[in-house]
Amino acid sequence: MPPAPKPLKRLAPLKNIRVLDLSRVFAMPFAGANLADLGAEVIKIDTCQAQFMDTTRTLTGPFPDNQPGELWWEQGGTFQNLNRGKRSLTLDLRSEESQKIIKDLVGVCDVVLENFTPRVMARFGLDFQSLRDRKPDLIMVSNTGYGHSGPWSNFGAMASALEPTHGTGAFMGYMEEGEDGRLTDGQVPNKMGNSYSDFLATWTALSSLMAALLRRARTGEGQWIDLAMYQTGTTVIGAGLLDYAFNGRRTQRIGNRHPVWSPHGVYPCQGHDQWVAIASRDESDWQAVCLGMGMPELASDPRFADPIDRRRHQEELDEIISAWTSARTSYQVMETLQGAGAPAGAVLTAKQALTDPQYLDRGFFETVHNPPEAGLRPKGYVGRGWKFSRSEAEIRGPAPRLGEANEYVLGELLGIDQDRLKVLAEDRTIGNLPEGGGAPGAVPLDEQVELGWIAEYDADYLEKLPRV
Amino acid sequence: MPAGLLTGFRVLDLGSGISAPWCAKILADYGAEVIKIEVPGSGDDARRMGPFAGDDPDLEKSLTFLYLNTNKKGVTLDPSSVSGRRLLDRLLAGADVLVENYPPARSKELGLDYASLAGINPGLVVTSITPFGQTGPYRDFQATDIVTYALSGLMYHSGDSDQSPLRSVLDQSFYVAGANAAAATQVALFARLTSGEGQQVDVAATECLGAHLVQPVPYYNYMGAVKGRRPVRGAGFEELMPARDGYVAPSVQGSQPWSAIAGLIGGEELQDEKFATGAGRVAHGEELRELLIKGLARWDRMPLFLASGEQRLVFGMAQDAGDLAECPHLQARDFFVEVDHPVVGVAQYPGMAVRLPGETITASRPAPLLGQHNSEIFGQELGYSPEDLISLRQHGVI
Repeated sequence: MPPAPKPLKRLAPLKNIRVLDLSRVFAMPFAGANLADLGAEVIKIDTCQAQFMDTTRTLTGPFPDNQPGELWWEQGGTFQNLNRGKRSLTLDLRSEESQKIIKDLVGVCDVVLENFTPRVMARFGLDFQSLRDRKPDLIMVSNTGYGHSGPWSNFGAMASALEPTHGTGAFMGYMEEGEDGRLTDGQVPNKMGNSYSDFLATWTALSSLMAALLRRARTGEGQWIDLAMYQTGTTVIGAGLLDYAFNGRRTQRIGNRHPVWSPHGVYPCQGHDQWVAIASRDESDWQAVCLGMGMPELASDPRFADPIDRRRHQEELDEIISAWTSARTSYQVMETLQGAGAPAGAVLTAKQALTDPQYLDRGFFETVHNPPEAGLRPKGYVGRGWKFSRSEAEIRGPAPRLGEANEYVLGELLGIDQDRLKVLAEDRTIGNLPEGGGAPGAVPLDEQVELGWIAEYDADYLEKLPRV
Repeated sequence: MPAGLLTGFRVLDLGSGISAPWCAKILADYGAEVIKIEVPGSGDDARRMGPFAGDDPDLEKSLTFLYLNTNKKGVTLDPSSVSGRRLLDRLLAGADVLVENYPPARSKELGLDYASLAGINPGLVVTSITPFGQTGPYRDFQATDIVTYALSGLMYHSGDSDQSPLRSVLDQSFYVAGANAAAATQVALFARLTSGEGQQVDVAATECLGAHLVQPVPYYNYMGAVKGRRPVRGAGFEELMPARDGYVAPSVQGSQPWSAIAGLIGGEELQDEKFATGAGRVAHGEELRELLIKGLARWDRMPLFLASGEQRLVFGMAQDAGDLAECPHLQARDFFVEVDHPVVGVAQYPGMAVRLPGETITASRPAPLLGQHNSEIFGQELGYSPEDLISLRQHGVI
C-alpha cells in the first residue's frame, strides 16, 4: 500500500473540502490536482475495467525510459502530473450498485467534478438534480465541449479539435508570400497546441468553483456550474469578437509580428531549433535593441527611423536581427538584450525549462517521491502559477495507485462492511489490478524522431537534469 | 445583471493592460463590486491598445479596454501624489481585494508592496500579477506577451515543426495569467474565512503557462525526449485541413470505428482496412493525407461538423470572429450579452465561460469612461465635497 497523501500543513486553504472527481483525461483531472495541492481531499473514481479507464492511465504515457513496464497503468508521466495528491476508488459506473455508492459518497463530499457528455450522467442517474437530492448544498462542475444546453450539447469534444472551433486559431497563423514577393497575412489558421482548450477549462473550473465555495460559505447554497469549453475559448478572444462587431474584421494572421510594434518576432539562434523572442514596444526598447546588438547606427537608419518605418521594413529588419541572433545562443541573446533594457526571452523547450534559472529559483517544478513499488524515480512535476504568502499550496504526493483508497472510502467513509467489500472485490468492482487491456506498444525514440512526434532525445537525460 | 456568487465583495482593480483587468472582470462577472482605478489623463494602457471601434484610436474606443472592463466602476487617482495616495488608502481600507500588475520594482516604489498594504488593511488580499513573479533572477526583466510565452516553455510547441514557433495574437499569456489570478485570489478569500487575515498572492504569467506542460515535462524527465511542434506530414488527423469554404480538423478520437470516420468523409479508397489502426495511418500517412484532402474537398465546414457531432465523432472546424458572432449554438445558450456604451453604442459582447443555472445574464454594464465614477465614489461614498473634487481635479490627482 502506498502511503496516504502527506499530512496537511496548518494553513492549507481547502483542508476541509472533499472532492469527488469523476473526470477524465486533462481539463478536470488537472483542476482536481490543483484542488489537492490546496489541501482538498480528492477522491478519483477509477475502474478496474481497462477499456473504461482514464486514457491518461492507459495510453498517454510517457513511460519511464519509454518502456511501459508491468505496472503500465500506474506509470504514465502525464497521469502522474494530472492526478497528484488524489485518492483512488475503483467502481464500475455501469452497475447500479456503483451508482448507489457514488450517490452515498456525494452525501459526504462538497464538490463533484465530471466531464461526461450530458446524456451519460443522466443515464447513470448522476445528473446534478439527482445528486443534489443527496447533498442539497452540492457544488458540481460539469465540463463538456459545448455545455448542457443548445443544439450541439451532446457533441463530444477534445481540445485539439475544439481549438480552431472556438476561434483562437483564427488569430494565429504564419504569414505567406504575396504576389509582390513580400510577406502578407496568412490564410491558414493554426493552433497553440498542447491541448490549450483543456487548460483554459481548468482555470475556469477553479475560478467558478471558488466563487461557488465562497457563496456557499456565506449562504449555504450549492451551485451547478455548466462549463462549456467552447465558450471558454471564445472569452479569451473577446477583443477579436468586438473587432468584428464594430469593424466587421474577422481574423488576423500575422505570424509572430505585432499589429503595431516592430521589431517583433522570434529569431533563430545557435543550436537545433533554438529561438529567441524579441519585442520592441517603443523608441526606448528600439534604442535598447540596437545598442544590445552593438549596432547603434541602426537607430539612425532612415528605414527604421520611426515605428511606422520599422513596420514597413520589418522584413529587412528581421534579416539583420536574424543574422545577429544566429551567431549566439538564445540565452546569450536574452541576457544581452535584457541587459540593454529590451524585452527578449529564450523560447524554452521543456528540457530547458527544467533547468531554467527562474523556474528553479521559484521552485516551480516540485519533486514527487513515489513509493518504491511504483517503479518511478523521484521527478519534478509542474507546480502552479501562484504563490501565497500565508496559505500552503504544494503537490502533496504522487498520483494514487489503482484502488489504493477502496477500503478507506468504502469502509471508513461509507461504513460498508467487510462481507460486502469481499463481494465487490469478487465481482471486480473494486480491486488494484486492471481487467483486460495491456501495456500500450512503445515506439522507439529514434522512430518517434523520424515520425516527427518528438524533436530529439537525450539518452543521458538523467545527467542533464538537476538533482531532485 | 452579474451572477451574484461574489455579491458583497469589493475588488480594487489597479491593473493596466490585460492580466489584472481580466482577473478583475472575471470577479465582476461573478458578482463582486469592482472599482477600476486609473491614472488621470491617460488611463489604463489598454485604452491605447487596438482594435478600436471604427478604427478611431480614441481613449474611449479601445475594444480591448471595453471588453476587459465591463461591469466595473471607474475612478481616477494618481497613487504617486500625496492626495491620490490618501484617496487610495481610504478605498483600500474598505476593500477585500486589490489586483495590480505593476512591475515589482514599480509597486515597491509606489509603496504598494504587501507589507505597506497589510498595514492599512490586514484583511486585504493583494494579488500581484507579473510576467515572472515577485522573486527570482528574471523578476525585473522587460516582458511582453511573446517574451512571456517564449520563456514559459509553451511557445516552443505552437505552430508547425518546419517553421518557427508561432505566437497566438491577442496576448493569450495575460489572459491565462488573469484567469489563474481570479482563481487564486478567491482561494485567498476562502482562506480568510478561517484565518481572518488577508495575504499576498504572487501570480507569475510564465508559470501559469508553464503549468500547461503536463506532457512535455514528463516527456523529458521520464525518457529524455524533447516534444516538438506538430509535424507537417503525419497521420492527417487533428491537423487543420482544407474543406470547401475553410479549414476543418478531422479526428479519429471518440469511440467510433474507422469505417464511420471514412464513411463520413467519403471516398471508397478511404475505407481500406490499412487505415483502420493508428500504426497503419502512420505507415500510409502520405496516401491517407491525399485521400483526406480529396474527401474533405466535398464538404463545407458546418455540415461536416454537424454530421460528425451527430455521428459521435469529434471533428472541429476553424471559425473566425464572424462565424462565432453568428453561431446558433452560442445564441441558444444566451452567450452574448448586450452592452450599451455611451461613446461607441450598443453591441453584443462575449459573455461568461460558464453558465450558472438560475442566473441568466442578458445585459452588462459598459466599461467605465475615464473617471466616470469619481463623484459617486469620492464624493458620495468617501464624503469629499464638490470643492474638494475640484481641487483634486485642478491638481491633477483625479
